[in-house]
Amino acid sequence: MSEETIRNITHFGWDMFSGEVIMSLIVMGIIIIFSFAVYFKFRKLDPTKPDKGFAMVVESVVDKLESFTVEMMGNKWRHFSGYALGLAMYIILSFLVSIIGFPGPLTYLGNTLSIALCTFFLIHITAMKKNKLGYFKRYIDPIPILLPVNLLSMWAPLLSLSLRLFGNALAGYTLMSIVYYFLGVASDAIFGGFISTGASNIFIAPFITPVLHLYFDIFSGLIQTFIFVMLTMIFISQEDPEEEDSSEVLKIQKGKA
Amino acid sequence: MEALKFIGAAIAVFTGGCSGIGEGLICAKAIEGMARNPEMYSKLRASMILGCALDETTSIYALLIAILCLFVG
Repeated sequence: MSEETIRNITHFGWDMFSGEVIMSLIVMGIIIIFSFAVYFKFRKLDPTKPDKGFAMVVESVVDKLESFTVEMMGNKWRHFSGYALGLAMYIILSFLVSIIGFPGPLTYLGNTLSIALCTFFLIHITAMKKNKLGYFKRYIDPIPILLPVNLLSMWAPLLSLSLRLFGNALAGYTLMSIVYYFLGVASDAIFGGFISTGASNIFIAPFITPVLHLYFDIFSGLIQTFIFVMLTMIFISQEDPEEEDSSEVLKIQKGKA
Repeated sequence: MEALKFIGAAIAVFTGGCSGIGEGLICAKAIEGMARNPEMYSKLRASMILGCALDETTSIYALLIAILCLFVG
């Protein structure tokens, strides 16, 4: 197994200014540049004509996400789709950059913890805004003696959100590293006689690993993005007392995190 | 003491089997629902994949623990 993998796992991701953090900043930069490009492109467009090409794709994505947000959280949360789109773009891009060999930002616990903290703060700020002083009632919910239990369970969403992403990315990364290492050894055993060491371990991996990348990076990434965004929406719309839970998904998902 | 690490990792991975049972139940029920009500197919499929992914979380935690058992310390 490579040095990189060992360092990644044994440090549990705590390593300031490691490749993951730099890659995370690059991903954010890409998203910001992309957003500005979209903004300037859309300013020039004629609103009376139907969009085509790139603009149409962007518009349909934004439309889909907005309707999904409305379906999950109700009509007054329509503006929330901006945050959801940002999250989704960051998580998907973070999974995708590890395909082309960069260190995946989500294999660093600090990164996943940061985006989970955003959601966590949003949950509690929304609760404070909507419930005013009633917000503190949750800590003594059935009876005041349960205060320590409630204080502990307050952190459950943060932990589950961050560890879910981190575990997925790290598990995929570790398994891929093991497969690459194993295939390298196998390739070395077969082709080692013909070519000098170091170059002989790259012949089998390209034929087997793309399928695994497809699962661990693309499929898993898309599913985890969807789940993260959806759980964020559910957690936040739960804090809204006037919101009647008409959606069936809400009833099923309650209590699961 | 070295062997205990591997035993611990194996016990952690056992959780994956349990979540496998859960995932099987999810799929079974979803397919039952699809068979009874074919026009709900796409909605049920979306919920099924979502439920599977949520269920898989526990086994991912287990995998994380197993990896940490094996490589840390």
